[in-house]
Amino acid sequence: MSFFVPWLISFTERDDKEIVMIETMSVQSVLKRAQIAGILERTCQELELTEAQFELAKNRYETAGVWLAESDEPLIRGAEIYPQGSMSLGTTVKPLGRKEHDLDLVSLLRHLVRSVSPASLKRAIGERLRANGHYRDILEEKPRCWRLVYANEFHLDITPSIPNLACGRGGELVPEKNRPEWKPSNPKGYRIWFEQRAQLKPRIRLTEAEFAKMRAQVEALPEPTAFKGLLRRTVQICKRHRDVRFSTRESRLAPISIVLTTLAAKSYAYCATHFSYDTELDVFLDVVRYMPAFVERRMVDGHERYYVWNETTEGENFAEKWNADPRLAEAFFAWHKAAVTDFEQLVLLAGLDQMGRELGRFLGEIPVNRAINALTQAVSAARTGGRLSVVAGVGLTTGTPAGMPVRSNTFFGR
Amino acid sequence: MRSDGPRRLTAAQQYASLQTARLSGAHGSLRIGRLTWEFEAQPLPISRLYRVRVQYRQGATPDALVIAPDLEALADGRDLPHVYQQRPTRICLYMPGTGEWRPDKRIVDTIVPWAVLWLFYFEDWLITGEWSGGGEHPKVKDDAKKNSRDRRRRD
Repeated sequence: MSFFVPWLISFTERDDKEIVMIETMSVQSVLKRAQIAGILERTCQELELTEAQFELAKNRYETAGVWLAESDEPLIRGAEIYPQGSMSLGTTVKPLGRKEHDLDLVSLLRHLVRSVSPASLKRAIGERLRANGHYRDILEEKPRCWRLVYANEFHLDITPSIPNLACGRGGELVPEKNRPEWKPSNPKGYRIWFEQRAQLKPRIRLTEAEFAKMRAQVEALPEPTAFKGLLRRTVQICKRHRDVRFSTRESRLAPISIVLTTLAAKSYAYCATHFSYDTELDVFLDVVRYMPAFVERRMVDGHERYYVWNETTEGENFAEKWNADPRLAEAFFAWHKAAVTDFEQLVLLAGLDQMGRELGRFLGEIPVNRAINALTQAVSAARTGGRLSVVAGVGLTTGTPAGMPVRSNTFFGR
Repeated sequence: MRSDGPRRLTAAQQYASLQTARLSGAHGSLRIGRLTWEFEAQPLPISRLYRVRVQYRQGATPDALVIAPDLEALADGRDLPHVYQQRPTRICLYMPGTGEWRPDKRIVDTIVPWAVLWLFYFEDWLITGEWSGGGEHPKVKDDAKKNSRDRRRRD
């Protein structure tokens, strides 16, 4: 029997009495972890593209897509435009210290073959965009793509691509940075691959009775108390932790998002299918812990080489640059160690203020303070609405009639 | 007993209702017309565990003191908001004269949940520098100065 409940993903009834020997966590620990997950969830909501921004971006890139497709230039006539990366995966994170999200798009030309050079295709796209008064002044050239800069909103990065006929999985070819050749990629396949992993439900080890009791108490806490999409949130938290860490370090050494995303997805799939957990927060912690296990290492000519394979195409190693510059690999492992240390000590903290300060230190003060503020507002709204209670062993609750109601009062004094 | 108005509760009645409330880590003492009650308060699962003592003398108003941890130390030099006394911290939970608390009301239904709520806003104040719990300040000359100092904020 299996239930779906937002804060605990799933519950599987135990028929094996031996397993009952596993000691589950105290209610207090479960509640604390649910609340930490809730603050992390709220922080991610502050960092990601809002639904309105998403719709606006979609509108903008679709319009640009039509403009490209209607070109008389045979190279780009019929171009299809679609999102890749964080926008298509649902893992956007606002860059530090700037308002604009970076959104990656692919402009696929289905009728072209390898003999067309990436440079000529990119040039044709640039010319077509420049021919439109709306785009002329907001167009910027990047090494592999064209960027449309919508100030205060987002950057739309348009990368040209063509079908990869050698790939049996519907892959594409995209320009390689600083080189005149095409390289294999598979944005659509990657999205499906990521989605399949995100849909896995980790196992939670609680008896039905424990589960029912804890659920009632968790649901009474001020919301949110759960992650909306554990893998996506894990990716966003890791990316944000990286952004904050490298804001005071050499930023070109920061692990790239696709490496963090791929390792988190592989680790998540492994943890969800091999272990069972008390809470979602424990799943999150384990997923981060196991990330480096999915970096493949090989000794080549006496040197350690690193591979983070794109499983949806042949020959795309997301960690390829690590092999040219070992400092990139070192920076990843050092980031990972710091992230695990920072995330693991959260459960040891006591005090809304301590939690807020620590999270603010490694995820940034602005989104974390907003998340804390949302929690305070939830309590205050329940108080005003006469829904606030104190439940012994839980504390302030906003979602249950049980416990001692907090009657109207006026704090007095200096 | 007065015949006009609601019935005042005796210290013994207050004590009995505190005993039945099953507050965690609670214990107390009762003497004629006087009670002390201590309990553990944790406003949220991520909050600290605080030790609160309620002192009540029949006919007077109940006092709520935060015994541990030391709130002044946590405030790190800032003046605590909504307190009568800084150390040990005697917290202000209701407005006198409004009937929010009256001798016919049970401490366990009023002072106890209000103390938990006060501690919640206290932890919020520690990080934001702002008291989000609302309330009234008695008129004092340096009020404006104090408020502006409280307003140093994040972002």
